[in-house]
Amino acid sequence: MLPTDIYISAGAATVLLTLVLLVFLPERTSEKLFSNFGFWRAKPLPLRHFISCLSAVVLGWIVWTGLTGTRDPLANPLPLTVWTVWWVFLVFIQGFIGNHWQYTNPWTGPIAMLSKLTGLKPLLRYPSQLSYWPGIFLFLGFATVLMVDPAPADPSRLARYVGIYWYLTLLGVVLFGPAWLVKAEAITIMMRAYQQMAILGRTHSRLSVGLSGWQILRKPAPKPTLAVFMLVLLGCGSFDGLNETFWWFGQLGLNPLEFPGRSAVVAQNLIGLIAANVVLLLAFISCLVLGLRISGETETVIIAFCRYAPTLLPIALAYHLAHYLPSFLVEAQYVLKYIYNTLGLGDFYVTTGFFSRPSTVKAIWLIQAGAVVAGHVIAILLAHVLALRAHGTTRQAIIVQIPLAIFMVCYTVFGLWLLASPRGL
Amino acid sequence: MITPKNATTRRNVLKTLAGGAAGAATLPLWARYAQAQTSEPIKIGFQVHRTGIGAAYGRWYDRTTMAAVNLINEQGGINGRPVEIVAEDDGTDPKRGAEVVEKFANQHGCDIGFGTLFSHVVIGSSPRAGELKLPYFVVSEGHHVASGMLNRYTLQPGITDVKSQVQAMAPFVAENLGKKVTMIFPDFAFGHDHRDFFTRAIEAQGGEVLAHIAVPPAETSFTKYFPKIPQDTEVLYHVMVGPAVLTFVKELGEFFGPSRPEIFGFIDSLEAVDISSPGLEYLEGTYFWEGNPRHAQEDQSEHDKFYRAAVGVDERGASISDPSDVSTYAHMFGCWETLHVIKAGMEAAGYQSHADRAKLIEAVEAMTEMPLSQAHPQGAKLFNGKTHQVFGHQYISKVTDGKLVKVHTTSIEDTLYPDEVDYTTQSF
Repeated sequence: MLPTDIYISAGAATVLLTLVLLVFLPERTSEKLFSNFGFWRAKPLPLRHFISCLSAVVLGWIVWTGLTGTRDPLANPLPLTVWTVWWVFLVFIQGFIGNHWQYTNPWTGPIAMLSKLTGLKPLLRYPSQLSYWPGIFLFLGFATVLMVDPAPADPSRLARYVGIYWYLTLLGVVLFGPAWLVKAEAITIMMRAYQQMAILGRTHSRLSVGLSGWQILRKPAPKPTLAVFMLVLLGCGSFDGLNETFWWFGQLGLNPLEFPGRSAVVAQNLIGLIAANVVLLLAFISCLVLGLRISGETETVIIAFCRYAPTLLPIALAYHLAHYLPSFLVEAQYVLKYIYNTLGLGDFYVTTGFFSRPSTVKAIWLIQAGAVVAGHVIAILLAHVLALRAHGTTRQAIIVQIPLAIFMVCYTVFGLWLLASPRGL
Repeated sequence: MITPKNATTRRNVLKTLAGGAAGAATLPLWARYAQAQTSEPIKIGFQVHRTGIGAAYGRWYDRTTMAAVNLINEQGGINGRPVEIVAEDDGTDPKRGAEVVEKFANQHGCDIGFGTLFSHVVIGSSPRAGELKLPYFVVSEGHHVASGMLNRYTLQPGITDVKSQVQAMAPFVAENLGKKVTMIFPDFAFGHDHRDFFTRAIEAQGGEVLAHIAVPPAETSFTKYFPKIPQDTEVLYHVMVGPAVLTFVKELGEFFGPSRPEIFGFIDSLEAVDISSPGLEYLEGTYFWEGNPRHAQEDQSEHDKFYRAAVGVDERGASISDPSDVSTYAHMFGCWETLHVIKAGMEAAGYQSHADRAKLIEAVEAMTEMPLSQAHPQGAKLFNGKTHQVFGHQYISKVTDGKLVKVHTTSIEDTLYPDEVDYTTQSF
């Protein structure tokens, strides 16, 4: 009932305006936007390995309750922790606030302990030609569990996935050393990628703060496979939303009001997930090729691909927030309910009443739309700074950037449309 | 084996039960041990739509179920044993529904399965319940139980079916609102049921349906369908569901303005939606079927009062913890009443273990009248053991000053139709 089409055009106009503004702004302005302020000379927190071990113990305990506790996915701590606390909340915090994964990662501590106790050294060298490919495929596997598996919240099913993945990762590190964690373990790669978007970060010995994205500009361009990983992050995120729209049900020839359930669309969703990623990759590469052509630049597409891929991270992160916000507002209450019940604080009432009040519905939609628009504006600014650095003049940088910028404006419209369109789930 | 009809009548079972109680004091030690063994809880597998399209209903089905089980346990449980709910999410997915039923029977050792709402999940799960010989008590209001497409192990004793609901509306509509009806409904099974059942029922009342307007289920704007409504329509019958309901009402108002025909709808369209929400003003003065009046009425029974308090619902059918959280009041009483039927059935059958599952079904099949009571706060019911379907009063409310005011209560007779199956002739 909200005038969503007005918001969609307003959002697209904002992103477009940013683009136009860039033409007139002095070269240094956009670079300055991303400067950082060191505000605290602080050493990294101690007890890194201890916290990681604690994280592993908690993981072990929730896997156990997944196998033995209540079958209700909104009362069992495993699905609540994995899908609500970790996937929605902690991933967002990693990308928006700062790198907690260096502490909360459930492998580094146990591995450190293991090597201290046994003097274990990696048995094999991580094959360099594999690069980040194992990570890409494992992340697609994770996305498959999230979007394709018929029952990703079923406690015992999830317990097996999580338990086996944790164990295999540990095995990978024992065999190949920490390289496995950095290049093959999908979650750590994702967390390290998102970490570059955080407002808090380290510069030398200081804790610094800056506009989301400042850390991307201080890093060298990623390796090609890591750049592919970043696109896959956005591709999967976009499909997780598209797969709930009436439009998607229409493509599958299904009635969204009589949805036969996830088990009836396993193959279709798997194909859709892969197709979404392929289409995104092709569209992104095409924009880069086009930009290089019209500007007459001679650099290779791979170099441009690696340079601009990180600029998609703010879009992916913004969409993560926007997409999960409504379900998070409900499921976070189930987390509170679990905590209340466990601590004996009485019962916590889970409400969905805020979905019926116009004021709260509007607030939720504005946060979602605001996040998507902000994400795209930051993406365009980042791409602009990177283009300026790579190409001598503002004029040249803008010409190279035009197709990519149009792509981002279209993606804004797509993202807002996804949020506004009727859903069957 | 064909079991003769009503081999176990309630009276027989009660007699056996009384004999058993009298003899218990003189039992040898081993038998008393056996008695102690059965003080294990009675496990009821609750097939709940926790995720998927049924999740909003699932939340309230869960609350009602837990309230009923707490009450039953406070009152001493069933046959002296506490009741334990084993909740499994079926994702509102028929295939998973069947898996959940299997888990109830093979993994959790449940005595029965219970609580399924969405028709396609019931239809997907019921055959497995039959194969596993697990009594399966559904709360779905679908006609699939009484139509004969399911099996002896599947029963619907706590909520009436859509066929009886729809046909019972026809006499009131014809007498009070008009005889020339146009129906507007979503173009899939749910809408088709309304089309078929109501068209026949209104014709039996001497009325007619002037036009059937089927709207594709994924439609989000309805303006183009309204010109198809014939000029001489006296009553517009609507059953739109899904996320575009508010748009439907708004566009309906824009199309007709103040000179509208009488409007009659099923509350399913606005279940869990506050009727006084902005955008729904146009519904003022229109009529709704309600399975159970959402707003407390002037003649509210003490049982409805008790039931509301137990579930945590206020006089507007919203949560007492958050008045903007409106319940699925027209349907969820089915969980409460079904659990009380299960209790009565288990007590009548002297249910002790899984071996007594067939006895439980026979005991429920033997039931007939269920008077208005704490166990049946929605109203009196009549159970048909042959079709495994319960029949009961239906309510028609008029939106008056933003409140659903009951204007008509159908008789149970209005809701009856000839049997389409006799499950009691099927073997266990």
